[in-house]
Amino acid sequence: MVYKCAHCKQTVEIDKDLQGIRCPFCGHRILVKERPTNIKRVPAQ
Amino acid sequence: MKLEILELKDRKAKFVLSEVTPAFANSLRRAMISDVPKMAIDYVDIYDNTSVLFDEMLSLRLGLIPLKTNADMYRFPAECECKGAGCALCQVSLTLSAEGPCVVHSRDLKSSDPETVPVDQNIPIVELKTGQKVVLTAVARLGNGKEHAKFQPVCASGYKNVPVISIGEKCDMCKMCIDACPRGVFKADKGKLVVTDLYKCSLCKHCIEACDTGAITLDTDNEAFIFTVETDGSYTAHDIIDSAMKSLKGRADQLSEIMSAF
Repeated sequence: MVYKCAHCKQTVEIDKDLQGIRCPFCGHRILVKERPTNIKRVPAQ
Repeated sequence: MKLEILELKDRKAKFVLSEVTPAFANSLRRAMISDVPKMAIDYVDIYDNTSVLFDEMLSLRLGLIPLKTNADMYRFPAECECKGAGCALCQVSLTLSAEGPCVVHSRDLKSSDPETVPVDQNIPIVELKTGQKVVLTAVARLGNGKEHAKFQPVCASGYKNVPVISIGEKCDMCKMCIDACPRGVFKADKGKLVVTDLYKCSLCKHCIEACDTGAITLDTDNEAFIFTVETDGSYTAHDIIDSAMKSLKGRADQLSEIMSAF
């Protein structure tokens, strides 16, 4: 799963077993999930 | 059956329907709410949404935008040749693409059918800040009010009984009722108390409370109804009443056809 670092905005691939939730570039611990590129169908009701 | 039109505008109608039963009046009211088909956005395909609103909230807002409807041009998806898969005969797509800073309005929705467009152009949908973006395609279809409130073509559809006000001989012209009536129904004319506009009366009974002699009696006519219809603009008020009556007639014809088989 690809995330984005909230601090350095780098694309990060996380490995929960080895390093946990942490940006390998800046060490920041807040990562945000990017919106997927597929089309989302939402009912209007 | 008698019909007296009191007011007829594009979006509002007021009329008196008399010599009908309460059941018939209620059937007409219900038919206007739930039997007249209307176009509304059914689902939204979201390509990008970086606005502050969630996708679901955005599509809910889009669903409630009234669209101008020409029901003769479209079919219900279940009755269409495509069997609900979606084609030009049963669906209209509206695209929206906007980037901030701006306020996205209903006029920004670009329809594939120039006749099926938002009724009001200035309905705000979402405010976008710099860099925020919304790209989507909304699909509208015909539906009726039984399914969802967004398919109701009327904002208000109701009726009340026509009041019957009688002024007895006990009236001593104290004029207390004239002051008490919030709608200004009464006036003194040549030393007599008269009713100026009967249809204005809201049956509040303030006049009866104010009258010490008990000269005023208030009743309702159970076979005459004052209807008020307000549309959301998808149809004119005239067209809604007409469609509702056709729907009732269609049902009666259908029942008659079934009965004729026995």
